Amino acid sequence: MPLTTVMKRRWVRWVTAIVVVILAIVVPLMLPEFANQTLARIGVFAVAVLGLNVVMGYTGQVSLGHIFFVGLGAYVTAYGVTNSWNIVLVFILACIIPGVVGLLVALAAARLGGLAIAMVTIALPIVGVPLAKRLSDLTGGSQGLSTNFAQAPEGTGLYTDQWQLYLVLAIGGATYALTRNLVRGKYGRAFAIVKGNEAVAGSMGVSPYRYKVLSFTIASIIGGVSGFLYMVVVQYTSPETMSFGHSITLLAAMVIGGAGSIFGSILGGGYYVLIPQLTNIIDPNLTAVLQGAILLAVLFVLPGGLVSLPRTIKRMRKSSVREPGSRTGSQQTIKPPERTVPPVDGPRIERQDQE
Amino acid sequence: MGTFIQLVVDGLSTGSIYAALALAIVLVNQATGLINFAQGGMAVMSAYIAFAVTSAGVPLIIAILAAVLASFVLGAVIERFLMRKFEGGDPDTAVVVTIGLLTLITGVCAWIWSYNNQQFPSLFPIGTLKLFGAVISIRSIGTILVIVAIMVVLQGLFRGTKLGLALRAVAINPQSAGFSGLPVGRLLMVGWGLAAGLGAVAGALVAPQLTLTPGMMDNALVYALAAVILGGLTSPIGVVVAAWLIGVLENLAAVYLPFIGYDLKIAVPFILIFVVLIVRPQGLFGRKAVVRV
Repeated sequence: MPLTTVMKRRWVRWVTAIVVVILAIVVPLMLPEFANQTLARIGVFAVAVLGLNVVMGYTGQVSLGHIFFVGLGAYVTAYGVTNSWNIVLVFILACIIPGVVGLLVALAAARLGGLAIAMVTIALPIVGVPLAKRLSDLTGGSQGLSTNFAQAPEGTGLYTDQWQLYLVLAIGGATYALTRNLVRGKYGRAFAIVKGNEAVAGSMGVSPYRYKVLSFTIASIIGGVSGFLYMVVVQYTSPETMSFGHSITLLAAMVIGGAGSIFGSILGGGYYVLIPQLTNIIDPNLTAVLQGAILLAVLFVLPGGLVSLPRTIKRMRKSSVREPGSRTGSQQTIKPPERTVPPVDGPRIERQDQE
Repeated sequence: MGTFIQLVVDGLSTGSIYAALALAIVLVNQATGLINFAQGGMAVMSAYIAFAVTSAGVPLIIAILAAVLASFVLGAVIERFLMRKFEGGDPDTAVVVTIGLLTLITGVCAWIWSYNNQQFPSLFPIGTLKLFGAVISIRSIGTILVIVAIMVVLQGLFRGTKLGLALRAVAINPQSAGFSGLPVGRLLMVGWGLAAGLGAVAGALVAPQLTLTPGMMDNALVYALAAVILGGLTSPIGVVVAAWLIGVLENLAAVYLPFIGYDLKIAVPFILIFVVLIVRPQGLFGRKAVVRV
C-alpha cells in the first residue's frame, strides 16, 4: 500500500512537472502584455520571498532587512549594465556581492540570538536607504538608475514582455529547484533542527552558528538573484527599492504565503504583487486599510498561511462530515511542499499518521 | 559649550519620546513575549484622537487624558479580540499580525484625517531658557520631565501595588499565575492597555514638533526598537537610559562627525547596538535569559 502511494505520487509529480514546464513555455506567448508583466513581477518577488524563507521559514532567524539584498542586487546589476559589462558577469556579481555582504553581516549577527538578529537586520534597510542616497556616484542618488538591457534578442520574434517573463521563469525556476533540493536534503534537516532547538542541534554535532551563517548567506545570494530579475522586469531602481516598508511587506508576504514552504513562497510573491493592485482597483483611498484588513483576515483564518488552505479545508470537512475525501488527487499536487520540514512539532507528526 | 549643552538637552528630549514608545514595547513584550510593531501606529491614532477632541474646543490637557483613556481601551480590545488568538502560536505569525495592524491603523488614520500634516497644539509654552550660555526650549525640558514622571509612576505601579505584582507574575509565568487564581487574560488586556496609554503620551508629546501625519511615528518606532534592544528587554530603566543615550549621541554625531551628518544619523543607534551586543549580548542592563531545553 505505501509503495503504490509512492509510485502514484511520483507519477503524479512527474506529470505535474511536465505540465508546469509546458505551461511555462506556452503561457507567455498567449497572454496579453499586462498579464505577462504582472506574472514576471510575481516571479521576481517570489524569488525574494524564497530567500527570506530560507533564513526565516526554514532556519527560524528573523530577518527584517531582506529587501536590502534585493536592492543591492538591483544596484549591482544597474551599475554593471550602465558600464556595459558582460551580462553573465553582471549576473554573477549580482549574486556574489550581496552574498559576501550577507556573509559579513551574518558572521557578526549570528552570534546574537533571537531578537538581536532582527535588530541587526532591521538596520540594513534603515541605513541602506540614506547610504544609497549618499553614494550618488555609484547609485545615482535619489534619482536612481534605470537600465533597459532585457530586450528580446532579434530573430526570436518575441516581444519584450515575453522575453522578460521567460528570463524570470528560467532563472527563478532554477533558483527554486536548487533551493528545494537544498532544504530537503542534509542542509535542510540541519536548518530545521537549528530552528527547532539550538541546544539539541549543538549536541547532535550541528553547529547552530555555522548553519545560521550559511542560511543567511544563501538567503542573501537568492536576494541578489531577485535583485537582478527586478532590474530585468522593472528596469529601474532607487533607494526606495530597499526601504524598510518594503522589507516588512516582504515579511508579511512570506508569512501569508506560508513560512517554511516552497510553494508558499510563490503564493507570497503573488500576494506581494497582486494585493496592492487589487486594493487600488477597489478604492485608491483605502489601499492601506484594505491591505491591513486582508493581511489580518488571512492570518486569522489561516495562521499557517495560504499554503495551509487545503489542510484546513480537509480538517474542517473531517470534523463536520465523517467521510474520506474523494478528491484527494487534486490535493496531492499541493501536498509535497508541506513535507519539506522534518516533523519537529506536534501537528506535523499527527498529519503524517493520518496519511 | 553652549551648542554642546543645547544638543545634549535636545537629544534628551527626543530620546524621551523614543523612551516612552520603547517602554510601551517592553510592557507588551514582558506580558506577551512579542514585539508590537503597531505600537507607533497606535500612538499616532491616540494623537489623532487627542487632536479631534481639542478641535471640538476641549482644553488640551483634558483632550490628552481622554486620548490616553481611549487608547487604554483600544489596546485592551486589540489584545482581547485580535492578539489573543496568536499568543502562544508561531511568534513570526504574531509579529506579522502586528505589522498588519500597523498598516490597518495607519490606513484608518489616513482615511479619516488624510495624509496632510495637521498642526497639533503644544502642551508647553513656546519659550526658551538660558542655561550656561545655551538656549533651551521649555518644550524640551517639559518633555523630559513628563517622561521621568511617567517612569516613576510606572515603577511605583509595578513595585508597589497588587496590580503590578499580578502583572509581573503573568509576565514571568502565565501558567503558574493562572493556577494561583490570577485572571491572566484580563491582566494581559491591562498590559496592552497600559502600553497603548503610554504610546498616547508619546504621540501627544511628539506631535507638535513633527506635525501630525499618519506616518509620524515610523522613525520613532525604529529608534524605540533600537533602545529596547540596547537597554535589554527585561529592564524598563535600562530602556529609558538607552533611549536617552541614542537621542544624545545621534544629535552629537550629526553635528560633530561630518561624515555622518543629518542624513546618516539614523545609523548611530545601530552602530551602538552592534558594538554593545558583541560585548554584552543581553543588552546594557538586561538579564541573561536562561532558555529551558
